[in-house]
Amino acid sequence: MNGFAAKNVLRYVLSITIVCIFIFPIAWFALTSIKPVSAVFNKDEVVVFDFKPTFENYQVTVLGGKKADTESGSSIGMGTSGSGAYDGRGSIVSSLIVAISSTFMATLISLLAAYALSRLNFRGSQGYMQWILSQRFLPPIAIIIPLVFIFRDLGLRDTHFGLVIAHTLINIPIALLILKSFFDDVPIEIDQAAMIDGATRFQCFYMVVVPMIKGGIAATAVLCFIFSWTEFLLSLFLTSSIRTIPVKITTFVTSTGSEWGYISALGTAAIVPGFIFILLVQNHLVRGLTMGAVKD
Amino acid sequence: MKTQGSRLPRWLRSEHPFPWLFPVTSLLIVFGLYPVLYSLWLSFYKRNPATRKETFLPSHNWSKLISDDRVWDAVQVTFSYACIALILQLVLGMLIALLLDSDKKGFGILRALMTLPLVVPPAVTGMMFLLMYDSSFGVISNALYSLNLLSPDAPILGTGSTALWGVIIADVWQWTPFMVLIMLAGLRALPKEPFEAASIDGATAVQSFFHLTLPMMSKIIALAVLIRGIDLFRVYDYVKVMTDSGPGTATETLTAYAGTVYFKSANFAYASTVALATLILVLVTATLFIKIFKVRF
Repeated sequence: MNGFAAKNVLRYVLSITIVCIFIFPIAWFALTSIKPVSAVFNKDEVVVFDFKPTFENYQVTVLGGKKADTESGSSIGMGTSGSGAYDGRGSIVSSLIVAISSTFMATLISLLAAYALSRLNFRGSQGYMQWILSQRFLPPIAIIIPLVFIFRDLGLRDTHFGLVIAHTLINIPIALLILKSFFDDVPIEIDQAAMIDGATRFQCFYMVVVPMIKGGIAATAVLCFIFSWTEFLLSLFLTSSIRTIPVKITTFVTSTGSEWGYISALGTAAIVPGFIFILLVQNHLVRGLTMGAVKD
Repeated sequence: MKTQGSRLPRWLRSEHPFPWLFPVTSLLIVFGLYPVLYSLWLSFYKRNPATRKETFLPSHNWSKLISDDRVWDAVQVTFSYACIALILQLVLGMLIALLLDSDKKGFGILRALMTLPLVVPPAVTGMMFLLMYDSSFGVISNALYSLNLLSPDAPILGTGSTALWGVIIADVWQWTPFMVLIMLAGLRALPKEPFEAASIDGATAVQSFFHLTLPMMSKIIALAVLIRGIDLFRVYDYVKVMTDSGPGTATETLTAYAGTVYFKSANFAYASTVALATLILVLVTATLFIKIFKVRF
């Protein structure tokens, strides 16, 4: 019995240690964001807790405040471009607009297609699914160069709307496959009963079946939001003045040095929405990440 | 009830798939399929850097691709990156899933915490590791200095032999939780009886893992490897943010090389060709994998 207890303790200790290792980079980043410059760039020793916390980095990057020039003595790229270059408010707004709009668009139109693929037996539905799946596996680099030209000709380059379309594009295959798996969970007898009662196919869709998979739709939307929020390559190629947070943050690395205080503050702020959302969809996370192939 | 619908042509009625599929299909054709064809068309043009004129010469870029050493280096880096990261994520993911697969108090919270790295934007992940790798104040570098495993003269990302490992570790940190989650779902779905029978017959935990757990989870493992593998083959964010393909071309993956050609030499025709090579590599590898392991969605 004693060996049994020891085994249990060992399991707890090991599990907690491993989870701590995986949380550490985030914790270290968040800690860096409230350190004064002198503590971040200390070349003699790594400062862990021995510093006076400051929220100046958040004031500059998230609230767009001016950099107070109290920390003189730091040699890293101060004052060369002013603190305006580190104002992340525009990028936060851009990220929100793009993520919310593309989530809405991708979920809405995928919902229609997913219902048809789940309910209407038509020739070529298998082939259509394969095509959607191949879109998920398409490397973004293969479409991005022509997309830059197409967007330029349509006047969509460097616009929020253009980026919304691009993010909708990458979210459609994922949303469609997940939503189809949720529709497949609803027995087809429900549709048949509704239509015997006189509902049209479309009424049956939005008045009966869609309300039954509300939870699944919410989980799909959350995942789409996260994919758009974290997307980097398309945003980098398609925009130059509108910057989403992941792209904006890379501009804080300059040839004269990296502004680690600002980077960690905006970076930490960028992680928060994802954290809240992922804790909300824990129940459907596996299904979402495997695009409906594994049901939990 | 049919009075309203019957005025419409048959393919516009809600029993026909057309109106349901039209929005998704049109968007995917215009912004997904058309660009790939556009890419192919671009790759058939030769760009003259002096006059900035393009002439139709289908063989030019493709023969250049075959004889370009940087392409083959990039293919090698891409394969090394994908294989090493995939094996590490798979093994670590399975081990951690076995460890966290418990109904005891607290394990639910640990499993939830384990998913957090998944939502960090990869560009931010790159930044986190850049900060920790920094050769003068980075916490990982300093820890390795004090263990005499690393010298300040050879920073992790600035040295050819370690740079790829530095990037891979960031990838492993971010995506091992993905494997953990999928393996946990697989473990939870396993039937209890075979394990009870095996333990009555005197099988050890290790034996029943290799003879029962692994074979019964082969389908879900194949699926996880496919999804993760494809993302690994087109890796860009970590490389771009952390090393920008450097030092030299030590961490240049195919996607990163296409990006470099696009941004630095503005040779769009050749950049498209390299990008299409990435697409071909991903498609061939994925198709082979799906055929061999019979993965089904």
